[in-house]
Amino acid sequence: MNRSQLIEELRHVVGPTGVVADPVALMTYDADGCVMDTGEPQVVVLPTSAEQVSAVVRLAARYGAPIVPRGAGTGLAGGATPIGGGIVVSTARMDRVLEIDARNGRVLCQPGVINWELSQLLKPYGYQFAPDPSSQKACTVGGNIANNAGGPHCLKYGITSSHVLGVQMVLPDGSIIWTGDGNPAPVGYDLTGVITGSEGTIGLVTAAWLRLTRLPEAVRVVLALFPDIAGASASVSQVIASGFLPAALEIMDRLAIKAVNDMYKLGLPEQAGAALLIEVDGVDDGLDELLADITAVCWRNGAIDVRPARTPAEQNQVWAARKNAFGAMGRLAPTYYLVDTVVPRTRLPYTMEQVGRISQEYRLPIANVFHAGDGNLHPIILFDRRDRSQNQRALEAATGVMHVSIEQGGVISGEHGIGVEKQDYMTLLFSTDDLAAMAGLHQSFDPYDLFNPGKVFPKGRGCGELAALRKAGVAWSELKTR
Amino acid sequence: MHDYALHGLRPHSVVEPASAAELAETLRQAHERGLALVPWGGGTRQHVGRRPARYDLALATRRLNRIVAYHPEDLVVTAESGVTLETLQACLARHGQWLPWDPAHPERATIGGLLASGATGALRCGHTTLRDWTLGMRVALGDGRLVKSGSQVAKNVAGCDAHKLHIGAFGTLGVIAEATFKVAPLPEHFRSLIAVFTDPRLPVRAVDHLRAAPLQPVALVALNRPAADRIPALRTLLEGQPDHISVIARFAGTDLAVSRQVHEAERRCVSLGARIVAVPLKDDALLWHAISNTMAPTGDGSLLLRAGAPSSALGAVAGLLERVARRNGWVPAQIGIAPAGLIFSRWFTGLAGPEAVNQALLEARIELGVLGGYVVVEEAPPSLVGALDLWGPLPEGIDVMRALRARWDPAGILNPGRFVV
Ligand SMILES: Cc1cc2nc3c(=O)[nH]c(=O)nc-3n(C[C@H](O)[C@H](O)[C@H](O)COP(=O)(O)OP(=O)(O)OC[C@H]3O[C@@H](n4cnc5c(N)ncnc54)[C@H](O)[C@@H]3O)c2cc1C
Repeated sequence: MNRSQLIEELRHVVGPTGVVADPVALMTYDADGCVMDTGEPQVVVLPTSAEQVSAVVRLAARYGAPIVPRGAGTGLAGGATPIGGGIVVSTARMDRVLEIDARNGRVLCQPGVINWELSQLLKPYGYQFAPDPSSQKACTVGGNIANNAGGPHCLKYGITSSHVLGVQMVLPDGSIIWTGDGNPAPVGYDLTGVITGSEGTIGLVTAAWLRLTRLPEAVRVVLALFPDIAGASASVSQVIASGFLPAALEIMDRLAIKAVNDMYKLGLPEQAGAALLIEVDGVDDGLDELLADITAVCWRNGAIDVRPARTPAEQNQVWAARKNAFGAMGRLAPTYYLVDTVVPRTRLPYTMEQVGRISQEYRLPIANVFHAGDGNLHPIILFDRRDRSQNQRALEAATGVMHVSIEQGGVISGEHGIGVEKQDYMTLLFSTDDLAAMAGLHQSFDPYDLFNPGKVFPKGRGCGELAALRKAGVAWSELKTR
Repeated sequence: MHDYALHGLRPHSVVEPASAAELAETLRQAHERGLALVPWGGGTRQHVGRRPARYDLALATRRLNRIVAYHPEDLVVTAESGVTLETLQACLARHGQWLPWDPAHPERATIGGLLASGATGALRCGHTTLRDWTLGMRVALGDGRLVKSGSQVAKNVAGCDAHKLHIGAFGTLGVIAEATFKVAPLPEHFRSLIAVFTDPRLPVRAVDHLRAAPLQPVALVALNRPAADRIPALRTLLEGQPDHISVIARFAGTDLAVSRQVHEAERRCVSLGARIVAVPLKDDALLWHAISNTMAPTGDGSLLLRAGAPSSALGAVAGLLERVARRNGWVPAQIGIAPAGLIFSRWFTGLAGPEAVNQALLEARIELGVLGGYVVVEEAPPSLVGALDLWGPLPEGIDVMRALRARWDPAGILNPGRFVV
């Protein structure tokens, strides 16, 4: 590939300010939030429209350079990392909210809009965009769609895919299509459903109609404190089993509390081994009763205190502590590895016990801050990356968590995606036929593997297996044309 | 019992697999021999779609009738595709849970058929669509591969959500063997109210008012007189009312929350000039059951249209469908699922030929296009099925859809010709 010629042509498409080619500047784009893998892009482009994206994609095909879509780069599975080089297409300049259609409960925006800014914009209308990943102050709606992001309030409101009505996307052949226009049940297959969570492998989202969620009339937040994580997880299992539907149920364990307690002036006592953040929302009537029922479950499971956050300022404080807990891990260790798995909610207490065992077995501290209500674990393995033995043990501990989660009937990712981080674990969950069918789906969008190649599908036991899977997809279609 | 006849066609044989493995084996053989098949659940929605281009085998799912796994404490259930919705709901109700989904004829309709045909009911406000409640599936593809996607837990992003593609695909990508749903606690209380309007401009405003904070109805529909008259329970309740449009709202939740919302809803409708008709508590479930049934194909020779549009345009859509029908001398029975932006309009086209009906459809499509909507034919009189443009213009992603179908149903044996793809 002639790089300088490609850069020249890209400049022609997006203008000189839309191309990053300086080696130092390119380093910012060598990884996303998962720093376990890095790769250097040939060039980064920042288009401003679907037409420009389409032109870039056609150029990429001509030059044989892969396309790596990128939002804010907060992903934790290496999805936006240019592992094999290529053209990183950043949506940073496609950051406009195009139409707020409150009457129809929808908003049209470009992919580079920041999640949090969108919800701030919607507030005066009495609405929010419900998916609220803890990274919401930085991550983009395009990244949310591509990763099917979750967040604390997904317990009640559902993950991103429940909030995407239709998207405009550029396909690997450069064509621009709308998968829907926000209307219900459009004719044809649910392409909106598969682009959501496709991790940038089948198309680049250039605009989306998102569903608005009404802001609740009332919100109550309490922190229930427990001597240890067992009581907190047992409470969560029982709250769910009893049929209560809180807006959020989040657990922070002793280490996590230690990391955020001072910084956010939470004033939690030393003996608190776990805090369960409970939020209920909705119509004001009946909310206190619901909260009382839930806290009763906590008391029965050995809670030592239940502290309400009464004012909006207090509530914000508690939420800020929760949402910034990962960042605060820097106070405890030089590096952390965040593992994202899911188990059935009844299996939480047992699984958390196992996470404790894994921490001991690999002699690494593990902090836990997670979406307990959904059974979505986030063990945060604390280690020092410069120490090779610790590095290795961190990886093994993470694998241990994945195995336990699968054993308990769960999955290897609840919200962060597969990317490069977990691609080799896909075979733990899916058979060759399952994966071949998914590869067939992928191939119908991207027959030449132009978009984010080498991700999501397993390559562990040699790239050969993946190639065979992909080929399997091709062979079937060839059968058809013969 | 069944002859599995469809639009005048009859299959050469009927297969009734009793397990997912048998289902897959059936498909493998059909694929090898190029036999075209029609997956058949309860048969309640076989009227939707075009006449099959070929029809060799009926593939009945009635023996795939087990609830495979149910963990009430985890709020997750897995059932085989031939389980009827009523059986599933009864099983969930024993543990105080439900699937907030109420399409027509739950006593006969199977979850497989309902999923495949993208069936909807009135519960479309608080609860989005069934797609959001479906966590995973096992599906036999058109070449006999039995594959799974999704999971049995509340949240999962491992692998693509291939199962979503089978919802509303009319069985053209594979035959659903089993599906896993997340379920919800059954609300303690349901209460509904009917607001009757004689001024046709008001229901649209009422619908807006009934959705404004803090009201959160779980169902909200509007029916014109002919539609209401087709529901015996409603006809009795509305006896003696002048020509009208009724708006019916349903609230669910704790006693306190429901009482306050019903009260507030009444107040808002009365201030718009509505007459309020109370729905006796004991009739609530029956009434909604009957309302959903009016949105289903009937086989009575009428033409059933489904229009989708931004919900703010729903009044205009109802108006235009009514105008187009009346221009041809047909009296439409219409029901709108307001917050979802859906309208079902039933036209009694009598002896009208295909030209007249196609012309009316074309007019509706053009006018709807201006409003940002679409219309499809959910059911056509038998004499017209072959001659009408049921699905309208092709979707933008049609090339990808075709490529996908070629991979999952390489021999093109699944419901050939019935859907757009
Ligand atoms: C501190 C912290 C907390 C987090 N908390 C959560 C949480 O609570 N819940 C959660 O779900 N995640 C969480 N994440 C993970 C991450 O923030 C989310 O996955 C987020 O959705 C990624 O958005 P992004 O804009 O940063 O995307 P990127 O990281 O830039 O990209 C993510 C993926 O999307 C693709 N992509 C980006 N834009 C497009 C587009 N327009 N079209 C097609 N593909 C595209 C990329 O190729 C990549 O595969 C957290 C991350 C951090 C660092």
